[in-house]
Amino acid sequence: MQHYLDVFIAILPFLWTGFVQTFWVSLVAIAAGSVLGFLIGVVRSQRIPFFHRLFGLYIHILRGTPFLVQLYVFYFVLPNTGIEALQWSSEMAAFVSLSVYTSSYVAEIIMAAIDAVPKGQWEAATALGFKRLSILALVVLPQALKLAVPPMSGVYVNIIKNTAILSVIGISELTRQGEISIMRFPRDVLFIYGVIALVYFVYCYPVLRFTRWAERKVGGTRVVNLD
Amino acid sequence: MPPSDPKPIIIAESVRKTYRSNDGRSHLALGGVSAEIGRGEVLVVFGPSGSGKSTFLRTLNALESIDSGRIVVDGVEISDPGADLNKLRSEVGMVFQLFNLFQHRTALDNVVLPQIVVHRRSKSEAVRRAHDLLGKVGIDDRAGHYPSQLSGGQQQRVAIARALAMDPKVMLFDEPTSALDPETVTGILDLMTELAAEGMTMAVVTHEMGFAREIANRMLFMDSGLIVEEGSPQQIFQMPRQERTKEFLKQIL
Repeated sequence: MQHYLDVFIAILPFLWTGFVQTFWVSLVAIAAGSVLGFLIGVVRSQRIPFFHRLFGLYIHILRGTPFLVQLYVFYFVLPNTGIEALQWSSEMAAFVSLSVYTSSYVAEIIMAAIDAVPKGQWEAATALGFKRLSILALVVLPQALKLAVPPMSGVYVNIIKNTAILSVIGISELTRQGEISIMRFPRDVLFIYGVIALVYFVYCYPVLRFTRWAERKVGGTRVVNLD
Repeated sequence: MPPSDPKPIIIAESVRKTYRSNDGRSHLALGGVSAEIGRGEVLVVFGPSGSGKSTFLRTLNALESIDSGRIVVDGVEISDPGADLNKLRSEVGMVFQLFNLFQHRTALDNVVLPQIVVHRRSKSEAVRRAHDLLGKVGIDDRAGHYPSQLSGGQQQRVAIARALAMDPKVMLFDEPTSALDPETVTGILDLMTELAAEGMTMAVVTHEMGFAREIANRMLFMDSGLIVEEGSPQQIFQMPRQERTKEFLKQIL
């Protein structure tokens, strides 16, 4: 028992550094990916043929290929194109690729949620004289976002777990720090991976809880007296 | 009641509309419909399902596009590509079979929001007007409730108040009582009768023949995308000219 405690204390600084890195990269990917995915989803929901197809292609390419391959493209291929703006660090490649990957899932969820708002809502607002953008902003999106909360939580947790893949391009996130720790304590592989898995769980579980809470918050029927 | 202005508020001329489905089949919804609605008039449109009566009503505020023909609302040709459809729609109130209240807004907000967004009224003015109208339709005590907390009849009252809040020149009712429990139907019909008595111009698609007999100035019987017969309630009910009208009335009365 004392042995495990010693190992734990020895690897704690590594785990902490790794967790902080995992936390930041997942936060950036979730934030940037959600904004990008939201915009794409809204545009796609409008069924303007050219944009609908263009972004459809974007989404299907991203969803139809492994994230690891995408990461390699962003890290190895794009910087080799010679374009100045794409000469990025491994960290930047990680941020961008994970955000783009996130956006493809968010876009599909947002479009599905917008489509799921009953047609009558559009019709009623149209009949009252609302412009298309007002209908979207004031009537449809508030209801669609509510529908998007539960599937979104699943995506977010998946993004957090996918940050582990970033270890292959040298991002010193949690899994990478674990591997470094294992080099120091090769006999405690199982224990160290166990601790790492636990850290991921401790991070992901509140995300699932939070979305459950948010879902109740936005989805519940409240009686609000405006007087 | 005699229309004060002889010029009809809505004129529809040879309106044709075909629905095309993705598998290439097409369905003629309106095969050349011409009708007028005079100011202050109550027009009831009835007929079997699939006859095109709802489609016709929905072309009058351009919720449905038309293939050919002409629709003029208060002097503005709405099939003209340059027409300001949003302005037109704000002047034509519409009440739906399934109410279509904004689900994420309270009853009061449902009536307030369009006034602010479309008519740019101040919040306080819109709220005052909303309370007045909710009171008029007999539901101001439910102002703070969400649609999901209201019964069908209550939701339809809110929907009528919402349409009235835009100060429409004409109201279109698309089977307003078809989704209601039998005991709440009367309340909505009474409310509509009251509106008609106040001089509101109305076009109503309904199966409520007793109501039609009571408030309609004129009735249109539609079948297969065409107007089969047109006349006063007395004429339609007592001496229908067309065989098809007789047959339909026999089935539903």
